[in-house]
Amino acid sequence: MYKVLFKFEDGSTVESFATEGENLLEVARKSNVAIDAPCSGNASCGKCKIRLVGGTLDSKKTRHITDEEYNQGWRLACVSKVNGEVEVMVPDIASAYKSRMKVADLSSKDEIKIFEKAKSDIEMSGINLTNSLDVVEVEMAVPTLDDTMPDNERLTRALRKYLNIPRVRIPYSVLHKLPDVLRASNFKVKCVIRTTSDDMFVYDVLPIDVDVIVGGLVIDIGTTTVSALIINMENGKILAKASSGNGQIRYGADVINRIIESGKPGGRDRLQKAVIDETINPLVQQMCRSCGIKPQWIYRMCIAGNTTMNHLFAGINAEPVRMEPYIPAFFKTNSLFASDVGVAVNPDAHIIVAPNIGSYVGGDITAGTLVSMIWNKPEFSLFIDLGTNGELVFGNSDFMMSCACSAGPAFEGGDISCGMRATDGAIEACTIDKDTMEPSYSVIGEKGIKPIGLCGSGIIDVISELFTCGIIGQNGKFVREGKRIRHDKYGMGSYVLAFEEEAGSVKDVEITEVDIDNFIRAKGAIFSAIRTMMASLDFDVSMIENVYVAGGIGSGINMRNAVNIGMFPDIPQDKFHYIGNSSLCGAYAMLISTEAEKKTYSLAQNMTYLELSTVPTYMDEFVASCFIPHTDETLFPSVTLK
Amino acid sequence: MPFNQKPQTFNAKINEVTIGSGEKAIKIGGENVFPLYSFDAPIENAPKVGVEITDMGFENACAGIKDYYAGCATIADMAKKASEMEGADFVALSLEGGDPNGENKSVEELVALVKEVAAAVDCPLVVEGSKNVEKDGELLTKVAEALQGKNAVVMPAKEENYKAVGAAAGLAYDQIVGCESAVDINLAKQLNVMTTKLGVKSESIIMNVGTATVGYGYEYVVSTMDRIKGAALSQDDAMLQMPIITPVSSETWGVKESVASEEDMPEWGPAEERGISMEVMTAAADLAAGSNAVILRHPQSVATISKMIKELV
Repeated sequence: MYKVLFKFEDGSTVESFATEGENLLEVARKSNVAIDAPCSGNASCGKCKIRLVGGTLDSKKTRHITDEEYNQGWRLACVSKVNGEVEVMVPDIASAYKSRMKVADLSSKDEIKIFEKAKSDIEMSGINLTNSLDVVEVEMAVPTLDDTMPDNERLTRALRKYLNIPRVRIPYSVLHKLPDVLRASNFKVKCVIRTTSDDMFVYDVLPIDVDVIVGGLVIDIGTTTVSALIINMENGKILAKASSGNGQIRYGADVINRIIESGKPGGRDRLQKAVIDETINPLVQQMCRSCGIKPQWIYRMCIAGNTTMNHLFAGINAEPVRMEPYIPAFFKTNSLFASDVGVAVNPDAHIIVAPNIGSYVGGDITAGTLVSMIWNKPEFSLFIDLGTNGELVFGNSDFMMSCACSAGPAFEGGDISCGMRATDGAIEACTIDKDTMEPSYSVIGEKGIKPIGLCGSGIIDVISELFTCGIIGQNGKFVREGKRIRHDKYGMGSYVLAFEEEAGSVKDVEITEVDIDNFIRAKGAIFSAIRTMMASLDFDVSMIENVYVAGGIGSGINMRNAVNIGMFPDIPQDKFHYIGNSSLCGAYAMLISTEAEKKTYSLAQNMTYLELSTVPTYMDEFVASCFIPHTDETLFPSVTLK
Repeated sequence: MPFNQKPQTFNAKINEVTIGSGEKAIKIGGENVFPLYSFDAPIENAPKVGVEITDMGFENACAGIKDYYAGCATIADMAKKASEMEGADFVALSLEGGDPNGENKSVEELVALVKEVAAAVDCPLVVEGSKNVEKDGELLTKVAEALQGKNAVVMPAKEENYKAVGAAAGLAYDQIVGCESAVDINLAKQLNVMTTKLGVKSESIIMNVGTATVGYGYEYVVSTMDRIKGAALSQDDAMLQMPIITPVSSETWGVKESVASEEDMPEWGPAEERGISMEVMTAAADLAAGSNAVILRHPQSVATISKMIKELV
């Protein structure tokens, strides 16, 4: 056994032990040290860079590490074997996906603007914003020797009389505390109930003087990022909002790698724990603390995630999603409760799951479609969700068609050497001076914060600027030279946005030709999917009246730049609308409104699913789209160089 | 009802590219009809046939090829002999010995050989690299320099090295750049775009859009060439109007139908005949799909294909 010491940039440490020959990434996982490994330890992504600061490590040099870096102690955790006592430094960027849980400041209107808008849009369409949760005050006669009715019957009768509903159900969790609560409050209590016309379910019973908040939990489970809200179910008010990386990332960056991992012995359990125990529960705790609500006061929740994510969340075998003919266990389910999966809220809380449409178009899209409102307009709209999977919905009030394309994790910073999620330290917008080639950028976080990486919106800006300044060619390779452009010994070019001394981490912030190549493939997947879907309907892009873009790729996308790089069709700028995290927003609407929930089920049922892999021209369209802006320049007449 | 022919001609045409200099210079491209559609309009320049020799000689080649070059002491002698072959329009010299994973001959040695060959022949010359993109970046730059004034084709410029090869051959030393891509219309176009953006005139570019031997996924080759000609002519896509040159022999003489000996495959018949058949079939299909020039090895293939061209055009 050897001692392994993980050190972090903030000075904290984690001590662990390992046997000779044990893989360092495995040791880190075992010790709950977060090291990003999107490729799941195949030495192909180069993200798990750590720095050897003491002791020894048996580690091969890979193409991700330059000679200079190797001499400075940089190693890839996934190819490192323990062969003695060792101390390693885990840089912020390697653990950025995990450590930076972000609780939003709700005092700024921006954070809740999109939810308010969604609420009023949905209400305008005639959908009632009410749900079946309620708080009622009940007073019972105090039992005596002559009045010997047991507590549960007493409560049942009182409620039945009060609301005139024939059936009242009291779960074990309420029965368990009932005698104490009744006696402590002299038989005057508040009940949290769910009612339908002939059935009532009692979630909770509380002393009359407790100011209970009927809480609801909204979660968007992204492959890369998990976002959540706590809301007041009575008035729909948002009480807290937070996000963090999906703890499953260390088991692979995309859904396929996750499914493969879940198929290993104990894998389904590990993945469920990673998303619930390590991701969702800490988020719930944080949010509850920030808004002063008790976790057990959360009586209902709604999750929206892609098909794989909601299967893994529920601990259900996802292998069939990956295998032909791609059949998931469920599209829609009503049978999930918090206690089934271990979400630390009220154990009887019902979990609403935004319905899936296919194996690769999931609940995140149906929820997003709900709030994009494209189903309520006569003109044609396109809804695009930029995630690890890019999904599209096109249509109007008469029909809707959806498809999914594999964009990879690039929009959320994956597969990009200095990529990161849109959290503190991420460059989210950038311009470059054509003559001096000097960048100016804005960084997420407090004023004066130094950049440590690039998030999706920043990458779009940088590539567009590099292209329009003539620094890279249409194939994404560098054609100009300068102080900020350098080449490694294999000739691979890169552009340095921030040299080490300008950056907030121990490394330069740069974008390499390989990064640009990965991003071009991601944007190519999106654009070719748009073209292919429109062509299958015999529609031209000029018929799109509105484009709604969603996704957690930054606080906003510069649409001009997104068109410049050929990611979106070249149509007037005012037709593009960024609607933020529409999956979270849709799940929010489904939670506060029972009618909105039902509407989402019917939207899902009426959507046609186009499987792109069965369209013979898709591959051709994809290769044509892997060029800036496109191999067919006539599709982008408005794109010009600076 | 009498047959009324409606000629299918286009307003756009394939670029006309001159290769070589002096009396024996050849022109390829220039047509405004689909490949070999001489019934629609006269084909400006008939497709051309090149004879391939290599810096490695033909020690392992079949008898017909070896016999043809019998008595040649040097590669330059072979080049001269190749240029005299019946039906030959140009000579293609392959520098396969430069491959670092093979003989790894030095750039200097190969450039000296190129100079000897250039001095020995008066027909147009095509020089093909070592099949290693890094080596070619250096080698073909020097080859382009050594062939100044010859207006030769230097190939391949690929996505990885088009900058070095394109700048030397197309800009500095006024040769023709042969851009090679892997059987994909978009990749072919992208490479042409990048090469012209370097400043190389589109009239100095020809394309090798990739080929396979018939029977080896060849449908993709036909589809690619077909769509390239379609886009060039019917959509007037200037970035796909470069004529196509296809090295046939280096593909066809490596497949098992050409290589397997008669002892191993008695039911297949004589090996040499099979090799010739594969070469002729592939070349004929390439020409029908859109190639403006093919590169062959066997004297009988060269004679057959040039006869086919004469009869069709």
